[in-house]
This record gives sequence, structure tokens and C-alpha cells, in this order.
Amino acid sequence: MGFVERGYWETMLMSDTPIIEIEDLAVSFPVPDAAGRGRRFDAVKRVNLSVYPSQTLAVVGESGSGKSVSAMSILQLIPTPPGKYESGKIIWRGDGSSAEAGSDGTDLLKLNDRQMRRIRGNQIAMIFQEPMTSLNPVYTIGEQITEAVLLHQAVNKSQANQIAIDALEDVGIADPASRLKEYPHQLSGGMRQRVMIAMALACQPNLLLADEPTTALDVTIQAQILELLRTLQNQKQMAVLLITHDLGVVAENADTVAVMYAGRVLEYASVFDVFQRPLHPYTRGLLLSMPVLGKSNERLPTVMDGATVPEDFPSGYVVQPHTIDPNPPGGYGGPDARLYEVESNHWVLCEPTAGNTDAKPAHPRLAFKRDSVAEAVGG
Amino acid sequence: MTAATTEFVPPSASAGRSLWYDAWLRFKRNKLAMVMLGVVLLYVAVGIGVAAGWLTADWKESVGPSYAAPSWEHPFGTDIFGQSVFRKMIYGTKISLSVAFFASLLSIGIGVPMGAAAGFFRGVVDEVIVWLYSTLSSIPGLLLILAFAYALQGTSLFGFKLTGITSVYLALGLTSWVGLCRLIRGEVIKHKDRDYVTAATAYGASKTRVIFRHVIPNVTHLILIDFSLRFVGFIHAEVILSFLGLGAKSEPSWGVMIDDARLELSRGYWWQMAAATLAIFGISLALNIAGDALRDALDPKIRT
Amino acid sequence: MLSYIVRRLLYTPLIVVGVLLVTFLLFRVVQGDVSSDIAGKNASPETIAEIRKEYGYDKPLIINTEAARERGVLAVFDSQFFHHFKSALTLDFGRSRSKQKISTLLMEGAIPSLSLTAPIFLGLLITSVSLSMLVALRRGGPFDTSVVVVCVMGMSLPILATILFGQYFLAHKLGWFPVFGYEPGLAGAKYFVLPALLGMLAGLGGDVRFYRTVMLDEIQSDYIRTARAKGQGTLRILYKHLLKNAMIPIISKVVLAIPFLFLGSLLLERFFGIPGLGYLMIEAIGARDSQVIMALTFIISILFVLGNLATDVCYALVDPRVSLN
Repeated sequence: MGFVERGYWETMLMSDTPIIEIEDLAVSFPVPDAAGRGRRFDAVKRVNLSVYPSQTLAVVGESGSGKSVSAMSILQLIPTPPGKYESGKIIWRGDGSSAEAGSDGTDLLKLNDRQMRRIRGNQIAMIFQEPMTSLNPVYTIGEQITEAVLLHQAVNKSQANQIAIDALEDVGIADPASRLKEYPHQLSGGMRQRVMIAMALACQPNLLLADEPTTALDVTIQAQILELLRTLQNQKQMAVLLITHDLGVVAENADTVAVMYAGRVLEYASVFDVFQRPLHPYTRGLLLSMPVLGKSNERLPTVMDGATVPEDFPSGYVVQPHTIDPNPPGGYGGPDARLYEVESNHWVLCEPTAGNTDAKPAHPRLAFKRDSVAEAVGG
Repeated sequence: MTAATTEFVPPSASAGRSLWYDAWLRFKRNKLAMVMLGVVLLYVAVGIGVAAGWLTADWKESVGPSYAAPSWEHPFGTDIFGQSVFRKMIYGTKISLSVAFFASLLSIGIGVPMGAAAGFFRGVVDEVIVWLYSTLSSIPGLLLILAFAYALQGTSLFGFKLTGITSVYLALGLTSWVGLCRLIRGEVIKHKDRDYVTAATAYGASKTRVIFRHVIPNVTHLILIDFSLRFVGFIHAEVILSFLGLGAKSEPSWGVMIDDARLELSRGYWWQMAAATLAIFGISLALNIAGDALRDALDPKIRT
Repeated sequence: MLSYIVRRLLYTPLIVVGVLLVTFLLFRVVQGDVSSDIAGKNASPETIAEIRKEYGYDKPLIINTEAARERGVLAVFDSQFFHHFKSALTLDFGRSRSKQKISTLLMEGAIPSLSLTAPIFLGLLITSVSLSMLVALRRGGPFDTSVVVVCVMGMSLPILATILFGQYFLAHKLGWFPVFGYEPGLAGAKYFVLPALLGMLAGLGGDVRFYRTVMLDEIQSDYIRTARAKGQGTLRILYKHLLKNAMIPIISKVVLAIPFLFLGSLLLERFFGIPGLGYLMIEAIGARDSQVIMALTFIISILFVLGNLATDVCYALVDPRVSLN
């Protein structure tokens, strides 16, 4: 690489500092039990995640595994009450001032509504699963995109309009100027999700939270939208936290992967490691349950089929059983289960066994870019 | 190495229970609603007691001086004739509940068959029924009730002279079937072309039978929810009608008591007014709360 | 949508005919000849006959075959049924028992009625919509719970008690408001304050509860979350995003509230001596003046039908998904 002037993003790219780190996050909701007494249930507990600049972290898991709750917590979008942030930190280093490596960053959970509003849609944007309902049906596309622009940028109405037009153009919408005057119901599902992306990217966020952005769309449109997201991510050098339950989407888009189940992160590693050497039995079950083209199965294994035989788990660690009991003492995965780096750059939720008592639970941090691996292999 | 197993226990499947039993379990969980249900049942018991002549049959009897203030002996004092206001209040339960009961009965008797017929036959029958209820719902409720109650006063039906309270039953019943009819019609249309109806027809059951055996039971809970809240409306309407002189005449009713109290109030005799208000407030509150809980229990989808 | 409105428009005459049939059935067929009632106990047969003639009870109900034989075919329409239609459609309802023109009575009564109901209507709408939005925002919290409790209690209180106690304590005992009276023009405004407040109070519980349900439905929608994710402030989210979407149920409710206002004003006018339509109605019931009751029922129903029609047009104005063309 040549000796070039280092811009903001280059600084970020070279740094091994995550742009955002979620540390030990726990969010609870009230669940009345059979007797009608109020009881709180941790929707997520001890969640640790990091995303690096211009990387994609895919959070994968079934519905109810806490993926969305984790992402919504970043923007404090969980309604409180009924929800409650029990513990944890969300360190954000994406605002210009704390971009340097080693900066302490800001704890997003400590911000008040006013401070948070400056971050929402500006530094961190989010797109949602249902483009159908996520756009306000009674305002035009233009009104909704410029709303975000006007909130965060010192521009006038016509400049905001121009930004909106550019944003629509970026997401591949033809004739953007006239589209601005249309209402959401006049657009197809795929178009609406493009509009959502345009709206999210209009303010040039440093992190995009994509909560199952393609689940509600049909397969061909899914591929287009993901391709678009990848292109825009490369263009704008932004970090993406991609939530999905689709392992195919993970394989094609993610740099690093976090597998979640029952509110906890079970496994965290590069996309290659997760697919080639899954260590947690649940991940293995998940991968086994994926149909493979050309391979005929009498019956597709379920997650549980795959999950029950963790024979080649690295010695010295124990994986704790998971139960569906709403709030077991100590939470899911046993009282002492934490993320341990059981192999290099590969974290798994487990406990060290008697023979390995000095192991320290490690907060997962992994700067990894699949493209650079591909380059290395190719070159 | 210790075998690390991950066991997945499926959530305990709830045993096959009926909708009604499930709903009852949910309802029972709501302590306040249970208390309110008790209150409603108490009113019903009192109403039946009065109707059977076991309670306050002696309301006419003069028990003290005119306008005696409330005391231990006469909890709500006495009225102009020295009659016990408390006894009149108890007696009024009969009128109020009988209005709610008969009006509902009439309303169901008209609304359910009409709605089923409209939804089932469609075509001309449907057009006519829809036109009929569109017309009735174009006349503001109270106005319609007033017009009905007024016009029915003193007329006779099948040889029965309609006096006071009977015309109130009729006026409320004849005007309140519209919402129910619309509901049933919609449900019948929705279910009519479902596969199970076709299947039942295919093995020889008549469609009418299917409608009444399958469709109507499926909407019973909607009818119940509808009426638990409509009852309050009936009770309040009776009060207004009696107050305007279109309801009960020879017997005490809460509306008549309020009408009497209108003039007493300015002279400081507040107890008759208070007694009637309290009685109405009690049953309304109980019905409102129990009705809401009933709705939550029977139809967990529509939450407020 | 346009075709829907046209269909509704074409349906309107059918509803008007329906209303006329209902009033005919009630006042002419069911109730029948009330002339001896009107005349009083000791009236002479002549007086009764006169009244019968004046109110048309002497004519046959549906078709007048007798007159047709005497005066030609067209006289077949000289019946109660056709006179009923004619008087309603020409808005000429004849004279009341007090010998005044009914159409004049209606027009004179409309102004005091509107001066009372319009402030109630607007005040109620603004208060209950704002309150319900705040409640929806704090759903599940103590503020929400207490508002719901107060609303249910308010709904359970009979309106008569609200009015009577309000008048007794606030006007009679405390003397904050005039007890009773009416004056045309601005000078009479003081007489409207207490009835308007009581009218609002009586309607508030039910309205807040209704709007709360609407707002709760909307506030949990995805587009609200999107607006929050954009960084929009709470108040703007409420008034810009939430309110515009809640407009359809609000408009429907507003139209349904109009007959309620009639109910409210009916009793309020009676107690506060405001000579409006409600007062007229109660007087007419007392005087057994069927013609006035019939005319009032008809006119209010027609207004209500027109109001319903206007609602449909309003839907198209607030919701781009409902398009007029």
C-alpha cells in the first residue's frame, strides 16, 4: 500500500478499535406468570459484541434469541417501560471526536433522550424488517427522507430535497425527483426497502443497523437489496450490524458472525471459522439444518439433531446446557458460562473445566475483513 | 471429558382446553374483575329478589316523616311521602335490570336471525336488511330511542297495552339490534365460503344447520362482549327515559328518583339523588370493569 | 373511492326514504290518531274533529280511494302517507301545538343549540386527543393507569347526576356560575360556560378511553420506531406522525359523537334553560306534540346522514391511500 494521507476512515480502518462495543448488556421485560404476578425476564443477558469500521458483523439466531433487542438497545429504541436496561455498556466511537484509536468513546446507554437524538439517524441509522409498515403511510417518500436530513444537517428545504434525490439515486431508484412525491403505498416492497436504506444513509451514518432487512421480501429482491447494501457499505466505508436468521445471507455478507440463542451470544468468530469449524453445539446444529443444494436428505436434520453430540469440543471447556425455563438462576448457559476464546479468534459461551481453571473469559474483539482474505488467497 | 449436552425441552404444551375454560382461567386471574363480577351478581340477585316479591315489597309504606335525613334506621333518609329512599333504591334495581335484560333479549332475537339471514342468503334479502339497519343507524341513538319510546307509549301490541316500562323495553330492543346484526352478518359471510362449511354440505348437512351449529357458536363470545358493555348503555338510557317521563311511572326507578330529586336538591335534600346515583354508578362501574376483563379474557387479540 | 362516494350519494335518498318510513310507521301507524289526547279530557267532539282535520288524522293512511272516486285519480295521493313525505321533503312541517310554524321553531332552536354543542365538541376533541396521546406515550405506567381508572369511573357516572350535582354545587352553592338562563348574543356567553364544562366532563371518560385504544394501536407501529430511529423528538412524533395516522378513527368517532352531543345538549338545555333543539324536544314530549318530534327526528337524521357522507370525503383528505380519483 502506498504512502497516502490518512483520512478519517483510513485511520479507522487501520485501527484495531471497534467502532462500537456492546459489553455485558442485559435488557429485561415484565412477564406475568401464571398467577398474574409481575416477573421480569431477561430478553438478553451478558451480550458482548463488537463491530469494526467498514466491517459487517452478522448476528444470527432464531426469533426471540435477542438479536433485535440487542440492536435496538444501541439506539435506545426499547420502550421503557415496559423494557429496562438492567446492566451493561454500549461504547460508541463513531463520532468524529473519539475516532482515534484507544479512545474511550461514549456510553450510549448513559445518554439522555436529547443527546441520543443527535446520534439516531445521524451517526447510527437503522433499517427494519418490514418496509411495508416502517414507512409512515401518510407522508410522501420525500417528506420522510428530508425529515432525517433536516434534523441533523444545517441545510434548507431545497438542499435537503437535493440530498434526498441523491440518496434515492444511490439506492438505484430511477427518476428520483418524481418518486419523492409518491406515497409508500405506491411503491413495491423492494422499492420501499430501498427508500428505507436511502433514508438511513442520507445522513452518512458511520454504523448501519440492519434488522432483517430482507426477510419480508421475495428471494430475487432479497439478493438485490443485499448486493446494494454491500456496494453502499464499500462506497461509504460504513460499519454494518446485520441481523438475520438466514445462514445463506450470513455466508455471503458477513465478515464476523455472532450466533445468539435465548438472549445470549453463543459463538463469535470470523465467518470462515463459524462455517468451517463451528464449536458450539447449537451453531453446529444450526449449520446442519441448512439444506445443501444437490444433496438429498431423507429428512433435514433439525437444530436439535445436530446439537446433541459435541464430541470434538476443545478440551478444557464445558458447554452448558440451555433451557427454555424463563429465568434460570444465573441466566442461560449456567451460572458461570461466559464467552471464552477457546481457539485463536474464536469465542464460545462455555465454562472452563477443572483442568483449565486459569482461563479468563474474554470480551470478543475481532478485526477481520473477508475481502482481505480473498485478496490474500487470490494474490 | 464430560459429555457436554445441550438439551432442549419443548414448552409444556397446554392440555386441550376449551376456549371458554381458558377464558375463565384468564378472567379469574383478574382479581378486580372477579370482585366486580360479584357486584354484578349481587345486583342480579337483588333484582330477582325484588321481582319475586321477597325484597322491599313494602316500599310504599311510609316509615317516617317527610324528608328525614339519612340515619342508621333509614340509610338514605326518606322522601316527600316518608317512604324509605333505601327501599326505593333497592326496588329500582328490578326496573333497571329488567330493562337491560329484556332489551338485550329482544335485540338478540332480532339481530342474530336478521344478520344470519342477510349473510346467508345475500341478494335481495341482504340488500333489504342492510338498508333497514343503515336507516336505523342514520338516526342518532338517543333520538331514535326517544321517538320509539314516545310513539309506543299507550299503544297496544297484540292486545297488550304498552305502559311505561314495557315501551322502554321495546324502544331499546328495537333500536339496539343494529350493531349485533352487522356483526353476525359479517361473520356469516366470512365463514359461509370456508372449506368446512362446503365439506359439511358435501356430506349432506344443510347449510342452515352449519350456520347455526358452527358459525353462530363461533361468534357467541363477540355477542357476550358486545352486551356486557351495552348493558351499561341500557341502564343509563332507562334512567334518562324515566326521567323524561317515558319510562316507569307507578314504581320507583332510579330515573324517577333522579327526577324527583331534581327539585329536592335545590332545597338541600340530597339523599334521594345520592342513592340513585350511587346505585347506577355501582352497577355501571362493575359492568364496565368486568366487561373489559371479559373482552381481554375472551379475545386476547384486541387488547387495550 | 370516487365511485364509492357516488354510490354513497346515490344511497342517501334511500336512507332518507327509510327515515321517513320509520317516522311514518312510528307516528302515524303505531301511535295512530292522538287527537283526543291532544284535545284533552273534556273536549267536545267538534274540537276533536277540528284537531283531527288539522293534523290530517281524518285521511286514510296510505291511499285515498274515496277521494280518488270523487275528485279524480290524483286525489288518491291525498293520504297521511303522502302528506308525510311531502311535508318532510318541502321542510314544511306545519304548526306546533302552540300554533307556531315548526320550521321556524327549528331554525330558532338551532343557534342556542350550536352555541352550546360547538364548544363542547371542540373542547372535548382537543382535550381527549391530547390526553390520550400522552397516555399512550406513558402506557403501562402509573399515569396511564390512573387516567384509565378515572375514565372508567367517569363513564359509569350517569350524565344526569353529573349535570344535577354540577349545577347544584358549582352554580347554586358556590355561585361560580349563573344557575340558569339565556340571552342571545355575546352577553349570554356566561350562561353557556357551566353547561359546556359539564357536557365536556360527561363525555371525557369515554372519549379518552376510545382514543387511547386508537393511539396505543398506532404508537406501537413500525413507522413510529422509524421516526425515533431518525432522531425525531417525542412531541413531533406525536403530533406529526402519530396524529395524522390516527385521523381516520378520530374522524369516524367525531361523526359518531354528533348524536352524543345532541343527547348532552338535550339534557343540558333542559336544566340550564337554553331554548335549543333539545329543549324543544323535551317540551314536545311533555306536550305530546308528535309533529314537532317527527320533524326533529327527521331533520337531525338528515344532518347525520350528510355528516356521514362528509366523513368519507374527509378520509380521502387525510389518508393518501384513500384516493378520490
